[in-house]
Amino acid sequence: MEKFFQLLVAGIAVGGIYAIIALGFVVVYKVSGTFNFSQGGLVLLGAFVTYQYSGPWGMPFFVALALAVVTLAGVAMVAERVVIRPMIGKPPFAMLLITIGLLVIIEQLVRSIWTEPGLVLKTPWGNDRYDIAGVTIRHADLWTMGTVTVLFAAFFVFFSRTDAGLGIRATAFDQEAAAAQGIPVSRAFSVSWAIAGAVAVVAGVMLTSRGGSALSPGLGLISLRALPAMIIGGLDSPGGAIAGGVIVGVTEIMAQGYLDNDTTGNVATIAPYVVMIIVLLWRPSGLFGTRAVERV
Amino acid sequence: MSEPAALLEVGDLNIRFGGVQALRDLSFDVKPRELLALIGPNGAGKTTVFNCLNGIYRPQTGFIRLNGEDLIGLRPSKIAGLGLARTFQNLALFSQLDVVENMMLGRHHGMRTGLLSAAIWFGRARREELKNLRRCHELAEFLDLTRYAGRPVGELPYGVQKRIELGRALASEPKLILLDEPVAGMSPAETDQMARLILDIQEDLGIAVILVEHDMHLVMDLAERVVAMSFGEVLAAGTPEDVAARESVISSYLGSA
Amino acid sequence: MTVIDRTEFRESLPAASRLLPTRMSLVGLAIAAVLVVATPLVVEDDFWMTVLANAGAFAIAAIGLNILTGYAGQVSIGHAAFLTIGGYVVAYFGAERGWPLPVWLLLAALVGGAIGALVGPFALRFRGNYLVVVTLALLFLTVYVVENWESFTGGFDGASTNSAPLSIGPIDFRELSLFGKDFTREQGMFYLIWILVGATAVVARNLVRSRPGRAMQAIRDRDIAAEVAGVSNVHYKIAAFSISGAMAALGGAVYAVNLRFISPNSPIEELFISIRFVAIIIVGGLGTIHGAIVGALILGPLPELVQENIGVLDFTVPLLDKPFVGETAADGGVFTAAAFSEILFGVLLILFLMFQPTGIAGMSRKLRARLAARATRHDEARAVGEIADEGTEDPAGTTAHE
Ligand SMILES: Nc1ncnc2c1ncn2[C@@H]1O[C@H](COP(=O)(O)OP(=O)(O)OP(=O)(O)O)[C@@H](O)[C@H]1O
Ligand SMILES: [Mg+2]
Repeated sequence: MEKFFQLLVAGIAVGGIYAIIALGFVVVYKVSGTFNFSQGGLVLLGAFVTYQYSGPWGMPFFVALALAVVTLAGVAMVAERVVIRPMIGKPPFAMLLITIGLLVIIEQLVRSIWTEPGLVLKTPWGNDRYDIAGVTIRHADLWTMGTVTVLFAAFFVFFSRTDAGLGIRATAFDQEAAAAQGIPVSRAFSVSWAIAGAVAVVAGVMLTSRGGSALSPGLGLISLRALPAMIIGGLDSPGGAIAGGVIVGVTEIMAQGYLDNDTTGNVATIAPYVVMIIVLLWRPSGLFGTRAVERV
Repeated sequence: MSEPAALLEVGDLNIRFGGVQALRDLSFDVKPRELLALIGPNGAGKTTVFNCLNGIYRPQTGFIRLNGEDLIGLRPSKIAGLGLARTFQNLALFSQLDVVENMMLGRHHGMRTGLLSAAIWFGRARREELKNLRRCHELAEFLDLTRYAGRPVGELPYGVQKRIELGRALASEPKLILLDEPVAGMSPAETDQMARLILDIQEDLGIAVILVEHDMHLVMDLAERVVAMSFGEVLAAGTPEDVAARESVISSYLGSA
Repeated sequence: MTVIDRTEFRESLPAASRLLPTRMSLVGLAIAAVLVVATPLVVEDDFWMTVLANAGAFAIAAIGLNILTGYAGQVSIGHAAFLTIGGYVVAYFGAERGWPLPVWLLLAALVGGAIGALVGPFALRFRGNYLVVVTLALLFLTVYVVENWESFTGGFDGASTNSAPLSIGPIDFRELSLFGKDFTREQGMFYLIWILVGATAVVARNLVRSRPGRAMQAIRDRDIAAEVAGVSNVHYKIAAFSISGAMAALGGAVYAVNLRFISPNSPIEELFISIRFVAIIIVGGLGTIHGAIVGALILGPLPELVQENIGVLDFTVPLLDKPFVGETAADGGVFTAAAFSEILFGVLLILFLMFQPTGIAGMSRKLRARLAARATRHDEARAVGEIADEGTEDPAGTTAHE
């Protein structure tokens, strides 16, 4: 039973990270209608940039983190400006494939820049743990849950109170109508990518920290598990992203904890996708998504 | 003279989208070779009726019978095979294909070539292609479309595309054809041409037509019978003159203007 | 030219329905045939022979992906899954059991086709972005199965494909002997694979010029209108995935034979391989059969071209004071050869999507149209006053993609 609670806490924490990444996916999707596969690359890059600032360049951790957030928001905005915005109005699959091209490029750049194996991203909480009634809880997981809560609260305020946030929601609703009302579509694109870049850093740092702090180029593919999370939650509400993230996180960690052995191999790599397919077959618009009937 | 059996019978259709009751106890029928006009203000539910007939929407209650066969629950592609063809309010052509290929798709359900015989090509696939291409070419000539051959239809003028869509519907050799605003956005000359085509279809080819159209002159000229609807309900049905004189029909239009 | 002569129509097929739509395609085919026959006569080097044979294997799989994406309009980043499946079929049935060449080829295609057919129904419920994630799931599931179904795949230890039979009747591609010349195994594989490319291309062309291919294109352009016109979306989406899976597995099978050994570490079951195929069909030209082949010929050998031409790329980068590309990580270059070629794939994919979405096939189409236009101008100049045929405007480069 202790094992169960331990896994549950860890699962919720991982799910929270997926929820953050999913938020990045959703914001871009709402504005551009594209799943942004390069999000995985941004998470990877975010973790390594934070490492660069805090490790080799010796900045205090939170300064490095903040600076990395700014850096990645900038990188994402440049990428958006150069290869995404010119594709507005072109067939939607083209934009999707471009984000896949970006994923490849970013991942290979990261592998080329940080070639040394075994790099470690040091965090203030490191690998510390609490022991509560026999259940081991890692500080990293508590930090993760706290961060997720704060981030989601911030986004809630952003989307319901600020002009930029409302602009994004208007664009999401209808690009043409938004443009007609004088809401600049291009700015919504910029802002959405900046958000994607910023949340990527937080997610990258948290994922690395949970996984024992060793930086891995595999982080890009791991972050893509936020896609099933987002789809499971449905693309309509932030609550959906959290629920989807937690479902994926808990399934993954539970599968790892209870199933992983010689005969079942690394179930965690497929668990999120299997859950996604089951949920989609049952509810094609996700658990919390509204069903859209196509008009002709 | 006895009344001919109805080709299409629609009874008590109800469909609701969220809070909107798009169709309410809607009933009407179409006789063989008849040209029936379906009119009503914007949002009355005309396109929704077509979507139900095609099987794109599934009404919550009611029945739809074509030649006595129940259509509700059938896939749209199956319904097409039973002799129901359609043009769309907003063009829905296969934009990268050319005129003849678009029409060939109208003939799709009448053809048999499967994956295997297509892969081999020689024999059945080739024979069937040749035969049907010839038919489509004749049809293209009939619709005055031959000069646009070989070009993706997406780049052709709007009026021409409307005609191609009609061609695709005709190519399927349907018993009943649904035309959703066939002259919307057309010039007077194009409208005339389309009107003549619609008459030819009904009189010469003997195909029954349901015409949805906001152009009242066209409706008055072409229709044998008119069904007027508003907010998903039938307001009146009868001869064009009758229906046009009906108080409720006039006020439904004025009310929505 | 795609001009249809009205009087001629009844007797002959329009361009879109011919095996070779234009005179240029006939010329292209003739040149290609000569090149295929001649290459092993000229190239002796085993390494390059294998590289070119692999390009053929990629072409087979790319034709499949182009049917799925270019014709049926379904984007997939799970294509590598089907190559992997083909690879393990040849390892198990070909190499381990010794089943003959035609049998393991057919079996690979059948298994690939069957698994493709299983994905098809998903394409009905999920479209666009969602479907892409489903194809990604398929790839991860395949990798999982490969790693865990040890009795069939050998698990992490992998399986040999080396001893798979390579002969049909008297013809043994392992030690081919033709025109009084003896060929190496590499040269034999080249012939075998490129014959398969030819066969796959003919089958693909036959499919797309007749009823099934037209139905798929209709679904690509307007799925609901296609359904209303009588084209069953279920049927043809399943068909598209199945055909594409069969061709990918066929390509994967012969590619795996060239690799001689496959395991979870082989360059066959990775996401990047899937993405490479997407790049191949975009660069070559969506919705064309020859585009897939041209794309595979250009992008297939790219990693080896980079690897073998390191001399051109290892110049010192001024500020970093390192060579630009090093062969391996140990060389301390800014990029390794492998990373550099992956980045090239990504860059080419993006550049073509942005600036030449119709690919190389679209370029050559435009060029041909321009030449034709010039020829027409000449004619007009000569026959002043004569009325030019209204049909000579060519829809050059207009195959915009949905
Ligand atoms: N898929 C759908 N989802 C939600 N509401 C729908 C849907 N399809 C139709 N409706 C609603 O049903 C009602 C009837 O619409 P419909 O398109 O049938 O009208 P119409 O008579 O064709 O109008 P118009 O003359 O403008 O074409 C409208 O209120 C419309 O908003
Ligand atoms: Mg309508």
